[in-house]
Amino acid sequence: MREAVTTKNLNYSYPDGTIALNNVNMAIHEGERVAIVGPNGAGKTTFLLHLNGILHSLPVRRSGRLPALGQLDFTDAKVKIFGKNVNEAERDEIIRDVGVVFQDPDDQLFMPTIFDDVAFGPMNLGLNEDEVRRRVKNSLSRLGLTGYDERCSHHLSYGEKKRASIAAVLSMEPRILVLDEPTANLDPKSRAELIGIINKLNQEGVTIIITTHDINAVPELVDRIYVLNRTIIAEGTLREIFSDAELLKENHLEVPEVFKLFEVLKCFGYNCEELPLSINEAIEDLTKTIGTNGGHIHLHIHEHTHEEMKKVKHKYRYDHH
Amino acid sequence: MLDYPWIDRFASLNSPIHRFDPRAKIIAFLFLIFSIVFLNEVKLAFVGLLASIFFLILSKLPLRFALRHIRWVCLFIIPFFAIMPFTMEGSEICRIYGLKVTFEGVEYGALITLRALSAVILILPMIATTRFEDTMKALERLRVPGIMVQMLMFTYRYIFVFEAEWERMWRAIESRGFRLKTTLYALRMIGRAMGMLFVKSYERSERVYHAMRSRGYTGNQRTLSEFNLKRSDLLLSTLIISLGIILHIIQVVV
Repeated sequence: MREAVTTKNLNYSYPDGTIALNNVNMAIHEGERVAIVGPNGAGKTTFLLHLNGILHSLPVRRSGRLPALGQLDFTDAKVKIFGKNVNEAERDEIIRDVGVVFQDPDDQLFMPTIFDDVAFGPMNLGLNEDEVRRRVKNSLSRLGLTGYDERCSHHLSYGEKKRASIAAVLSMEPRILVLDEPTANLDPKSRAELIGIINKLNQEGVTIIITTHDINAVPELVDRIYVLNRTIIAEGTLREIFSDAELLKENHLEVPEVFKLFEVLKCFGYNCEELPLSINEAIEDLTKTIGTNGGHIHLHIHEHTHEEMKKVKHKYRYDHH
Repeated sequence: MLDYPWIDRFASLNSPIHRFDPRAKIIAFLFLIFSIVFLNEVKLAFVGLLASIFFLILSKLPLRFALRHIRWVCLFIIPFFAIMPFTMEGSEICRIYGLKVTFEGVEYGALITLRALSAVILILPMIATTRFEDTMKALERLRVPGIMVQMLMFTYRYIFVFEAEWERMWRAIESRGFRLKTTLYALRMIGRAMGMLFVKSYERSERVYHAMRSRGYTGNQRTLSEFNLKRSDLLLSTLIISLGIILHIIQVVV
């Protein structure tokens, strides 16, 4: 499969010299669903801003200071989108391919009406009026915002604003959709709807890259995880990452509640090969186990139960040192 | 809900002024405003004021709404009317506490007041009868420099966000026991809070700019809009513009 996003030795320092990203290497294939997780201040948002050339990888000097602007060399681009270098010259094309949805919809919706906001991107692409109108209509309806054309964004609810900001990016018909904490601050219904929308887009072939702290949404949203903490700490399938308790703890992460519950069940003698990550997987696993065990599951307290339980509890505790 | 500077609150009413094409509306009323402001004759300026009030009534904007906007401007106009009679040289009418009140002074003060009031009143049917975003689009179509339209547009868009941000900060300040008093400490606190608002705004502007660039912003921006000039628009704008011209013709002839 083609590589949609490739980064090689991506570095970035803030103006005060603090290193934000240090040799980040990543390869995401077309059609994949990938999450970037990590502690607060790990550089997740900074990383996303590199994907469409808003920020550029700068050569970091040993002193931690930035080189003068004239000395910058953009020819050796550190980010590639579908094999094309991300640099100032190709920005138009990159923007067409990579849509970035920012965390705060108030940053993303800056035009007087929702229509203008959704039309903003296509207009900048230089499309003709009919095509712009077609795309606005199409992306509004996909996000359930038909009829919102003339509404002002400051009168919408947070969930509506969030959907509008995705519509505003979708109208550019990107092949890669990048979302910064898409589920943050949403009520459960809006959250579930948003997950549905993102997955539907993925089924249509859009590559999905998200950052998130909403670990319970991860199994529903992605297939692969990168743990980022200034540099890539780990990469793997959800099960690989969630099984590494040390790694999770060092990077202030945790596992989905369902995963924890089945670890507890295991202490009581429940037998499963792979711990389920989501409710759906749990139902599947329970059904299978009950089926093979003659219509019931058997839980009991054995001699190691308390010891194992202690271990499980200890594994996921942050509140003591 | 906060008391937002909600200038287009009554933009959905139905009146001849509301139905007026935004582009024609802006040009016609601006022309009339400038022609009234350049009048030198008190009587004609009074006619101008009457015309302004007529258009305000025609626009069906609620009187309370109009007064709320006009009263602030009055704060600036009234001092002129009060000071002018004492400062202009000319024929004496009477003396107040030994200060000479001149006829020329009263006349000039009245002229300034009438011109300013008319202008302020005319702004309402011009701006408050169209949705703000349509006014912006009309300005864009009228080839007002993009940077000015964008500044107006962003100011309007983010006033709401900043007010909410300030409100949140203020609530946080008050909920930790701060009470507004005229002490040096309180003033310093407010100064700091406002400074914080500036920093927050600066950071937000950066994020907004990133979002704009992400969607291909290069500095020029266009929006789509459907305006079409009807015969009634032409008629109304001709009427308003001729009124402005006639006022000046009378001034020159008489």
